Order: sequence, then structure tokens, then C-alpha cells
Amino acid sequence: MASTEPEQACGGSPPGSSRRDIIVAAYCLGWALCFTGAMQVIKSGLVTHRPIAWVVAAVPSIASIWMLVAYTRYLREADELQRLIQLQAMGWGFGGGFFLICGYLLFESLGAPAVEPATLAAIMPVLFAFGIIAGWWRYR
Amino acid sequence: MRNRLKVLRAERNWTQSRLAQELRVSRLSVNEIRTGKYGPSLPLAFAIARVFGQPIETIFTDGSAD
Repeated sequence: MASTEPEQACGGSPPGSSRRDIIVAAYCLGWALCFTGAMQVIKSGLVTHRPIAWVVAAVPSIASIWMLVAYTRYLREADELQRLIQLQAMGWGFGGGFFLICGYLLFESLGAPAVEPATLAAIMPVLFAFGIIAGWWRYR
Repeated sequence: MRNRLKVLRAERNWTQSRLAQELRVSRLSVNEIRTGKYGPSLPLAFAIARVFGQPIETIFTDGSAD
């Protein structure tokens, strides 16, 4: 037997600690605000100096590193049921998003209105969020 | 899979939160294992057995075998 410590055997998330959930949610919200803000600044033409516009465009990408680190840490510290919920949500996000996008491309080739790639990409986080809610609902 | 978590917990007068704390998992996990909606991994099952000081087979039983 490899380990005898419960914290090592089970994943080690202290019970009732919603602090990490809040941190991850805050990072997600922060990134979304960052992305939307950068998009607005660039589209509105507020920044005319090109190097500064590049910096503005890079801000969401840099912020996403913090978000990914926080999410990875969350997964590492979550217990096995929480990980299962996250895994199923990822299945919804990536799998569902991929199949919806592929499906819509067929309709688009038949004359359905073209949709911006950013809109199509937004389907994945929406489905991921749906997967999380469905998971918490199922295991509530 | 059936289990005696509720009985064992009641014998010790432990809340779900207390058991979750002992196992270092979320209260949600303890509740879902108890209801049978979620089957624990082998390491977690061993941890539960260790916390209650009983062999795994006295805590968890195969429901289909009954």
C-alpha cells in the first residue's frame, strides 16, 4: 500500500473550503473583464499608438496564465468527486462545443448566417459552465 | 454498492462535516458516498475504513450480492 494518510489518498481538499472555488471564479470573471475591456479599447480606437495597442492585446493572454495556474492548483487540491465534476464539465465544454461548431459549419455551408469565430468559441465556456452546474445538481 | 457510513457516523455522533474533515474531502463527497450516488476510489475507501477502524468489507458491501 502506497500511502496511509487520508489527505494523500483522497486528494486533500479540506472540507467546506469554498475559498478555492471563489478564487477560480474570481479569476474567470477577471479574465472575462480583461478580455472584454481589451476588445473594447482596441475596437474603439482609443489607442492609436501601435505598440501600446499590442500591449493591450497581450493583457488578456498574460492574465490567462494566472487563471490557468489557479485552475490547475484548484484541480490538484480538489477531492476526487470535485475532480469528476470538473472532468465531466470539460467533456461538455470541449466535446459539446466541438460537435456544435462542426454541426453549425454544415448548416453554414447550406446558407445559415455566418457566425464570428469568437461567438463560436464562447460556446465552450458556456457549455463548461453548464457542465459544472449539472454536476453540482447531480451530486447535490 | 451499499455502505454503513450513516450508521458508523451516528455511532460516533459525527456530522457529515466532521467525517469530511477526518477524510479531508468535501462534505459533498461524504454525502454522495453515503447515498450511493458516488462510489469512492479504493484509496478513499481505505481511508474511510481507517477512520472508522474497521475493515473495508464491513463498511462497503456489493449491493447486487444481497
